[in-house]
Amino acid sequence: MSSELDFESRLNRRTIITGAAGGVLFSGLVARLVQLQLFEGERYKEIANENGVKLDLAPPIRGAIYDRFGVPLASHRQAGRVSIVREQTPDMDATLAGIARHIDLPMDERQRVIQQARSQASFQSTIVKSELTYEEFARMTLLAADMPGVRADMAATRSYPRGRDFAHVLGYVAKASSDDLSRLTENASPEEASLLARLFRHPDMRTGRSGIERAAEGWLRGEPGFRRLETNAAGRVIRELESDDLAPTPGRDIGLTVDAELQRAAIDRFGDESGAAVVLDIETGAILAFVSTPAFDPNDFVNGISYADYNALRENDRSPLYHKAYDGTYPPGSTFKMVVATAALEAGINPDQRVYCNGYYRFGNRTWHCWKRGGHGNVDMHWAMKGSCDVYFYDIARKIGVEHLADVSRRFGFGQVWDLGLTGGRGGTVPDDAWKRAALGEPWYEGETLNYGIGQGYLSASPLQLALMSARIAAKGRLIEPYIIGEGPRPDKPIPYAEPLDPDHMQRMMDGMYGVTSEAGGTAWRSGDLGLGGPRLAGKTGTAQVRRISEAERRSGVLKGDEIDRRLRDHALFVAYAPADDPKYAISVVVEHGEGGSSTAAPVARDILATAIRRDSRAAARWQQTASASGSGNGGGNP
Amino acid sequence: MARAARASAIRFEDRTLAGTLGELPWGLVLMLITVACIGTAALYSSTFTNPEEAGLPARHAVRFAISLGIMFVIALVPIGIWLRAAWPAYFVTLAMLVGVELFGLTRGGATRWLQLGPIGVQPSEFMKLALTLALARYYHNNLTFQSGRFFIHLPALFIIIVPAALIFKQPDFGTTLALIASGAVLIFLAGLYYRIIAAVFLAGIASAWPIYMFVLQDYQRERVNTFLAQLTGQAVNTLDDGYQIEQAKIAIGSGGWQGRGFMEGTQAQLDYIPEQHTDFILTVIAEEFGFLGATGLLALWAAILGWGLVIAGRSASLFGRFAAVGCVATVAFFILFNVAMVLGLVPVVGVPLPLVSYGGTVMFTTMACFGILLSVHIGRDERLSTQGMI
Repeated sequence: MSSELDFESRLNRRTIITGAAGGVLFSGLVARLVQLQLFEGERYKEIANENGVKLDLAPPIRGAIYDRFGVPLASHRQAGRVSIVREQTPDMDATLAGIARHIDLPMDERQRVIQQARSQASFQSTIVKSELTYEEFARMTLLAADMPGVRADMAATRSYPRGRDFAHVLGYVAKASSDDLSRLTENASPEEASLLARLFRHPDMRTGRSGIERAAEGWLRGEPGFRRLETNAAGRVIRELESDDLAPTPGRDIGLTVDAELQRAAIDRFGDESGAAVVLDIETGAILAFVSTPAFDPNDFVNGISYADYNALRENDRSPLYHKAYDGTYPPGSTFKMVVATAALEAGINPDQRVYCNGYYRFGNRTWHCWKRGGHGNVDMHWAMKGSCDVYFYDIARKIGVEHLADVSRRFGFGQVWDLGLTGGRGGTVPDDAWKRAALGEPWYEGETLNYGIGQGYLSASPLQLALMSARIAAKGRLIEPYIIGEGPRPDKPIPYAEPLDPDHMQRMMDGMYGVTSEAGGTAWRSGDLGLGGPRLAGKTGTAQVRRISEAERRSGVLKGDEIDRRLRDHALFVAYAPADDPKYAISVVVEHGEGGSSTAAPVARDILATAIRRDSRAAARWQQTASASGSGNGGGNP
Repeated sequence: MARAARASAIRFEDRTLAGTLGELPWGLVLMLITVACIGTAALYSSTFTNPEEAGLPARHAVRFAISLGIMFVIALVPIGIWLRAAWPAYFVTLAMLVGVELFGLTRGGATRWLQLGPIGVQPSEFMKLALTLALARYYHNNLTFQSGRFFIHLPALFIIIVPAALIFKQPDFGTTLALIASGAVLIFLAGLYYRIIAAVFLAGIASAWPIYMFVLQDYQRERVNTFLAQLTGQAVNTLDDGYQIEQAKIAIGSGGWQGRGFMEGTQAQLDYIPEQHTDFILTVIAEEFGFLGATGLLALWAAILGWGLVIAGRSASLFGRFAAVGCVATVAFFILFNVAMVLGLVPVVGVPLPLVSYGGTVMFTTMACFGILLSVHIGRDERLSTQGMI
C-alpha cells in the first residue's frame, strides 16, 4: 500500500514538475519580451519608424542654355501625358481602346503599353502617351476621372524652343541607355554609380547624348532630391511624407556667345543649300553664329526618335546629323592664299615682285593650271590675291617650301582641334613631310607644295578654322581664340603657344581681301557692299575641289555645274570680315557643292555679316556717325 | 471538494445533460473564447488594409465557433469510450499515414494529404490526438506501482517513433517535433529515471557538433549560422533568411510597454512581416498591444494550461491523467515553440499559435484536445478497468 502511495505521489510530483518546466519555459519567453520590448524597445521603434520610409529620387531640373541676349535655346516645359496603373484598371484592353477613341493611339502602341505594364509591378504606372497636345491633355484630364487607373498629369520635358537652329551646338538629351550609364559612371565611386543608375531609371530623367548637352552633362544635370515616401513591404506607396531639406538642386545654366536671331537669319539665308557658316567676334573670339545646315530637330530625340525617322536623317545625302561647321573639314582652296602670302612675306619675298601668269605653270614634266584660262598677266601679291591668281601662288609656295607653309598655317589656327566644350570638333590636316611619312609612308614631293599654295591637296580645315583665320587677319595678327560658352563650363585645355603674326603683314592681307570685294579685278567685287549704306566687307573666295578635273574634260571645256551630278560639284567657300575699315566680325561660309565662292558663298556671307552689324547697336551707331561725317556712302577706309 | 463529492455520488448513467454541462469548468471555456477573440482582433488589424483578406477574421471566428461545438461533443463522450477507442484510433490513423506514404497528395512540396472520397484529410493532425490517447491507454494498462523499470517505456517509445518517422518523411518537421515533445512529456510523467533523462540530454548535446559538421547540408548549416547570428544580436543579411525574423523583432520591439495602439502598428499595417496572419500573428499583438498585451496573452495561455494540469492531477484513472497531460503538452508545445520562433529563440519552423493564428487545422486539433481534457474532467472519478476492448 505504501508503494502504491509512493506511486501516486510520484505521479503527482511528475505532473507538478511538468507544470513547473512549462512555467520556466513561459518565463523564458516573457524574459525575451522584456529584452526586446522594454530594454531595446526604443531602438526598434526608431527602426520601425524609418522602415516604411523609402527615399525616392526626385530628378533635378536640368540647367537651361541661353544665347548672348538671354534667349532660351534649351529649357524645360511642362508636357501633358497619360499614364495607367494596371492594378487599378479592370480591363487594360478596353481602357486603352477607350483612350484611343479620344486621342491618337495606334494599336501597336497599345500593345507596347500592355507589355510594359505587365513587365512591372502592378501598382506602378506605365506611360501611355507623352507629349499630349493641349487639346488632348484637356480631354484626357476630363476623361481620366471616369476611367479607373488612368491619370493625366504634367511632367517637365527638355525642350529646344529654337528647334533645328542650334541642333549641332546643343546636341540633345535622351533616356540613358546602358552604354550611357556605363560612360556616366566610369569614374564614379560604387555609391555614386548606384545612385546615378537609380536616378537615370526615373522616367523623367534624361542625359545629354551630343553637343553641349553631353559635354556639359555634369554642369547641367544638378543634384537629385529625395521624396520621403511611406511604402509597404512590397514597395507600394502609401503616402508622401513632408520634408523640406530634400528638394532637388537644379542644374546650372549655360550662357552661350551665340546670337539666336543671327543664327536664324544665317540659316534662312542658306535656304535649301547645305553648308556651314561661322561668325566670330574679332575683339573676343566669341562665336556669334555656328551654322550647319540642314539640321535635325533635337526635340524629336527627347522622347526617343523612331527608327524610321532616324534612318531618314542618316541617309539624307545632305547629312543633317553632321556638324559641318565643327566636324566637317574641307580643302580651304583659295581662301588659304592669305596664309601662303603671309608665309611669303615672312620668308622675305618682296610683295611687289611680279610673277607672270599665262594661265598655267610648269614644274618638272607636269603642268599646273590657273583657274583663269587666259592668265592674269603680270601680277604682284596684291593683284594675285584679289584676282586669286593660282600661278603666282604656285610660284611663291615653291619658294617658301612645305615646312614653313605648315608652320604659318598652324599659327593661323589650322591643324588643331579647338575645344569649345561641345562634343566633336576636328582639326583638319596641315600636311608636311613628317605628316605624310606618318600617314602615307611616303616622303613629301615638291609638286605637292604647289597644290598646297592654292589650298588644295592634303590640306583640310573646318569652317571654324577658316573663320578663325579671317579673324586673326582682321585682328592684325592677334592670336584670338574662339569660344562659344560665355558663362558655364569653359574648357580649360591650354592652347599651345604660337608666334604671333606680324601686324604689317596682316595689314597687307586685309588690303588684299578688301581688293577682292571692292576693287576692279577682285573676284567678289559685287559682294563688297553690305547694303547698309556705309560699311563694306573684305573677304576672299575659295573653291574646294570635290574631284579632280581630268585633262580630257579640261580640253573639252570644263563641264558646267548643271551637267555634273550635284555630289561631284565643288564646294564654294568664302571668308570675310566687316566692317572693312574697323573689323568687328569675321565669317567663313561653306556652301557644299555650291561651285563658285564668289557666286554662291560670298552673297551668303555678305548678308549674314550685314545682319550681324545691323544687330550690333554699337556698331550701327558708329557707322551712322561715320557715314554722316564723311557725307558719302563709301565708308571704306582701305585704299 | 463538496462538488466533487456530490458528482462522485452520481453514477454516469444517472447524469442529466444539464447537470453535466453545469459541471464543466466554464472559466476555462471563457478563457479559450477570450484567446480566440484576441486572435480575431489581431487578424482584423493585420488584414483590413488588404481587400483580398477582408474575410479572414470572420472566417476565423466562425471556425472557432464550430470547433467550440466539436469540443463540447468530445467532452460529453464518456471517458470510458475514449479509453476503448484509443487503440483503434491510433492504428487507423497509423494506417492512414502509411496510406499517405503510398498514395498521398503532394501540395507545396510536402505529401501530407489523403483523398478520402470527396474530402482531403491530413492524418498527421489526427495523430497528435491519437498518439496522446494511445500512450495514455498504454500506460493505463501497463504502469503499476512497482514499474519503475526502464523496459516498460520501450513500447511507448516505439508508439511515438513509428508515426513520428512517417510524418518526418512527409516532410512535416513541426508536427514531428510536436509528437516527440508531447510523447516525451508522457514518458517523463510515467516515471522514466532521471539518470536516463540526463543521459539522453548529454547525448543530444554531444551529438550537436558532429551533426552540424557532418550531417547537415551546406544550406542547412547556413541557416543554423544565420539563426545563431541573430540570436546573439549580430547583423544578419536582412534580405535573405533573416528578413522575416528581423522584421518580426522590429515589430515586437517597437511595441514597447503599451504598444502602438490597435491598428496603429507600422510593421503590421505595411505588411513588413511575411505570414503575419498565420505563424507570425504574435508580432501584431506585440506591436500594437505592447509588452502588456503579449504577456497578457501568454499569461492567459499559462492559466489555461495550468488548469489543464490541475484537471490531470484530479483524475482518478491513469488514462485520464495521461490523456489530459498529453493534450496539455500538445497545445503547450505549439504555444511555446511558436512564441520562441517569433521571438527569434528557435529556428523558423512552421508552427502556428493555437486559436490566434489563422488556419483551420490547428484550431480543430487544439479544440479537440480541450474536448478530451473536459471529458477527463467530467469522468475524473471513473476508475476505469485496465481490461479494455483491446
